[in-house]
Amino acid sequence: MWERTLQDLIRGLRANKKDESKFISKAVDEIRMEIKSEDMELKAGAVLKLTYLDMLGYDMSWASFHVVEVMSSPRYHLKTVGYLAATQTFNQDTDVLMLTTNLLKKDLTSAPADVAVTLNGISHIVTPDLARDLSHELLTMLTHSRANIRKRAVLVLYKVITMNPDVAERAIARLKEKLDDPDPGVVAATVNVICELARRNPSDYLDLAPQLFHLMTTSPNNWMLIKIIKLFGSLSPHEPRLVKKLQPPITELISTTPAISLLYECVHTCIIGGMLQGANGSNLARLCVSKLAAFIQDSDQNLKYIALLAMVKIVPTHPHLVAEYQDTILASVNDQDISIRMRALDLVSAMVREDNLQSIVQQILSHLVQDTSSFVSPTAAQSLAQNAILSSPGSSKSNIRPTQSPAYRLVLCERILTMCSQSMYENVTNFEWYLSVLVDLAHIANVDIGKAIRDQLVDIVGRVKSARRYAVKLMYSLLSDDSMLLNAQDEGSCSEVLWAAAWICGEYCSELAEPQKLIPYFLRPEMSNLTPDIVAVYLQAAVKVFGYWAAELAQRWSWANDDLPDVKEIVDSMVVGMKEFVTSPHIEVQERAANAIQLFNFIQADLSAYPSKATDHTGEQSDETMFTDEPNFPKSLFLLNPLFASEFNPVAVNAQASVPVPAGLDLDAWIVPPPVVNGTADQEAGSSDLKKVKKSKKGKGKEITANGTKGKKKAVGREMEGELIPSEPAETAEERAERERVPYIHEYLVQRKAERLERLKDDPYYIIDDKPPPKPTEDVDSIPIVRLDDMPSLIPDFKDMGPPILRDRPPSLEPTVIDRVGEMPEGAIASPPLPQQSSSRPSTPAQSSFPTYDVAEDIEIPRTNSVDPIKVTRVKKKKGTGKKKPTVV
Amino acid sequence: MIHGVLIFNTSGVARLTKFYTPLHQSPQTLVQKIFSLVSSRPPGLCNFLDAPELEAFLGPKKKDDERWRVVYRSYATLHFVFVVDGAESELGILDLIQVFVESLDRTFENVCELDLVFHFDEAHHILAEIIQGGLVLETNIEEIDASVHQATKARKESFASANPLALGVGGLGVRGVNQTPLGWLTGKLTGVGAR
Repeated sequence: MWERTLQDLIRGLRANKKDESKFISKAVDEIRMEIKSEDMELKAGAVLKLTYLDMLGYDMSWASFHVVEVMSSPRYHLKTVGYLAATQTFNQDTDVLMLTTNLLKKDLTSAPADVAVTLNGISHIVTPDLARDLSHELLTMLTHSRANIRKRAVLVLYKVITMNPDVAERAIARLKEKLDDPDPGVVAATVNVICELARRNPSDYLDLAPQLFHLMTTSPNNWMLIKIIKLFGSLSPHEPRLVKKLQPPITELISTTPAISLLYECVHTCIIGGMLQGANGSNLARLCVSKLAAFIQDSDQNLKYIALLAMVKIVPTHPHLVAEYQDTILASVNDQDISIRMRALDLVSAMVREDNLQSIVQQILSHLVQDTSSFVSPTAAQSLAQNAILSSPGSSKSNIRPTQSPAYRLVLCERILTMCSQSMYENVTNFEWYLSVLVDLAHIANVDIGKAIRDQLVDIVGRVKSARRYAVKLMYSLLSDDSMLLNAQDEGSCSEVLWAAAWICGEYCSELAEPQKLIPYFLRPEMSNLTPDIVAVYLQAAVKVFGYWAAELAQRWSWANDDLPDVKEIVDSMVVGMKEFVTSPHIEVQERAANAIQLFNFIQADLSAYPSKATDHTGEQSDETMFTDEPNFPKSLFLLNPLFASEFNPVAVNAQASVPVPAGLDLDAWIVPPPVVNGTADQEAGSSDLKKVKKSKKGKGKEITANGTKGKKKAVGREMEGELIPSEPAETAEERAERERVPYIHEYLVQRKAERLERLKDDPYYIIDDKPPPKPTEDVDSIPIVRLDDMPSLIPDFKDMGPPILRDRPPSLEPTVIDRVGEMPEGAIASPPLPQQSSSRPSTPAQSSFPTYDVAEDIEIPRTNSVDPIKVTRVKKKKGTGKKKPTVV
Repeated sequence: MIHGVLIFNTSGVARLTKFYTPLHQSPQTLVQKIFSLVSSRPPGLCNFLDAPELEAFLGPKKKDDERWRVVYRSYATLHFVFVVDGAESELGILDLIQVFVESLDRTFENVCELDLVFHFDEAHHILAEIIQGGLVLETNIEEIDASVHQATKARKESFASANPLALGVGGLGVRGVNQTPLGWLTGKLTGVGAR
């Protein structure tokens, strides 16, 4: 009698705000007692309290059974409490729902008030099973004498149809009949449901068009009209005749209806329903756009918003009509309301063309700039901005501010990038402008967009040759600018741009007059701020720049201008700088630094040995004649030149897929036949010999893998030395028969083996409990490893173009000038056969001029005479590694 | 369809939450997120909440037409929020919110926040007469009012028959039935807008 009611609970909550959790835990304890009570009234009270607490975020899933108990109460006022709790807290996974089937069936046959509550409850808690079990009862409800019940039954059917497709067909047929119901409310509900269903599967409802059409022209109910119009929007794309039929009445509605919501839906349906095509269409389109434009200019912000929403959809088909209102639309990008801004941004990016891209981007950029300038303390600024808006809702500067949220800035940045880069920079006419936009963006973005900017920079430089020069210039200033480097660890610093800067400067340092001046920037101690992948690119860039500069220097080497001290100094600084990074914990950085140090040590040694040699020569020969004999410059200056052996080009998306499989390569064949023989032997041997068998099997497995690796090594050189080919078959000849069977029995054998191990587990004479698991993995491992060693050289060279290792294995060369749009895809597709291989040579700088240096020669020869790209890269790689050894040693 | 109906006050305390489709996160976080966005919007802006932060909250980005939209209206100390998808007319939903509020107003007679606080179940029953399972059941205020009255009457009768001695006391009555002077006082002291 003294239990708390819901009101008491709420009052208690309000009185105990300081100690809410304590109060609630006490209340929940009480509820736990009450809910178990025999008194239904009390139980229902407890459930109601729980439902309230559930809204506040306290779990009540433990009480679901009690909820069902309350639902089953014959008292209407208690039943409603149970159903309310069920609709609020049950979900598809609530297990007690299984218990409710009969309860629901019973409730559907009781008094109308109960039925209404039940129908409402079912539409929330229905599961596929319930939908199936209750479908009969629910369908009979469609003919209930009360319109209110019929209405609810129609709406329940929507859930039933979506939940259980098996019932759908029957239910939909009955549903369609309800369009003729005498009660307008039931018809409206039916239209509602059909509208939802038709969004998923429009063609099923095309036959309703005449009825709907009749309703559209006769019904006074705006809500239903809106739904019918929406419904036609999804139907008419599937029935062209419908478009013709609908055009006159919809045009009529547009020009006459006083209800703006209906007018808007008509316009919207015209757009999405494809009614703007054809002769009549263009007039209608003009009408629609003019209505929408009026909305945009309306003082009602809601109309502005939805007009922008609809405009986005009309742009693809009628860009010229929308373009007439470009100024109005651009003004909305500055609206104080972020909702409107978002939609205006959508629209603006859909409207972008060559001639308006720059102004649009500039405007969006200006938003970012303004926002950063006021970026002192966001909350304070925000509140200020809000005050400003309230006081002066017209002024332009102050009301731009409410949008400083990082998420919005990110959207702005992404919009700029997608606008410019869409369809391969279709709309960008001036790449120097775009590059500077990207750099500006990196500076002002203040959100995490650096990666995207980096990728765009690299992409543009790769695709647009003419922009490289300017890009290098920009990147140079970026590298020499401390602020980016020092702030690299701040969030939103976009330091990834430095990755692109280093990569571009390293790659295209030929554009620089004095590339060596760049080297110190790549070896600064402040680089520890950067992430390891950027540092790795820095180091690589340093090596590249030096390589280019040294080669260039060597070519114009003369005694007149004594460059030797310069070179020495830089080499020394390189060695010193690299030392910093040899101890880096990041393997990529460490390895690069270590490699570089070795190379530069070698150069250092060569340089220090040089002067004495040189003096010998100067006496006898002039600079020019030296060409054929000994070079007159330190040879090691060319050591790093091969880094520029080829140029990086963008690779078409499907380039890799279009690489032809070389003749004679059977990808399905076993490279190393799996150890089958023993498996079969094992089977026959029986359990007594198990140990022995196993041993032999192990041994043989090894043997085979050994053969495999041997075979693999040979295979690399096979194409040159024919004699090796027979040697491999000789070894595998005996096993060939088995090998062919292997794929089929393999699975079976694995299973057998597992069974055998299972048996052994229980055998006290075998203590192998722990061993078996590792062993199979060993076996499995050994096979793919061998294959992987062999395979990768076939393909990956075509694959990626971004990663920092680029240098080591240049992708296939396309000499095609990649102007803007990147003809690259075609080039790359054509490249697998590599028709242009030979022509690629001229583009590589300073390569053939010094035949004395055999490194360059080595790389070049295989490339030119190769017909098959795969062979080329493989041979090259092998030779490349072979080449390095002798020079270093 | 309509995916959710929320009512919360100007301090972000939920007064009614109803979801017609399963959510990706707890209703409370969604209420908090929407509240933080709605409350930062000065009056006079449009009634559609569209913010980049929201998209992550309303489930993965789908086709434009299926994107969830948040339509809200503010009345005195309460924000009424409807979460809907592309099948609903934006302006129609604005009207529907008005219908909902008017129905509450008719039942509670000058509805205020406290009515919703102490009769959250009643508010649910009214909502159930307007929306069922995410689809609109009735938009005509007269019809809604009639059904609400009918249901309330049925509950009262049922309660009375179960408790013949009770004088209208019970957890399920309408406003005024169970408001003791002390309760009224606590309500006043703690003030509207608090829990």
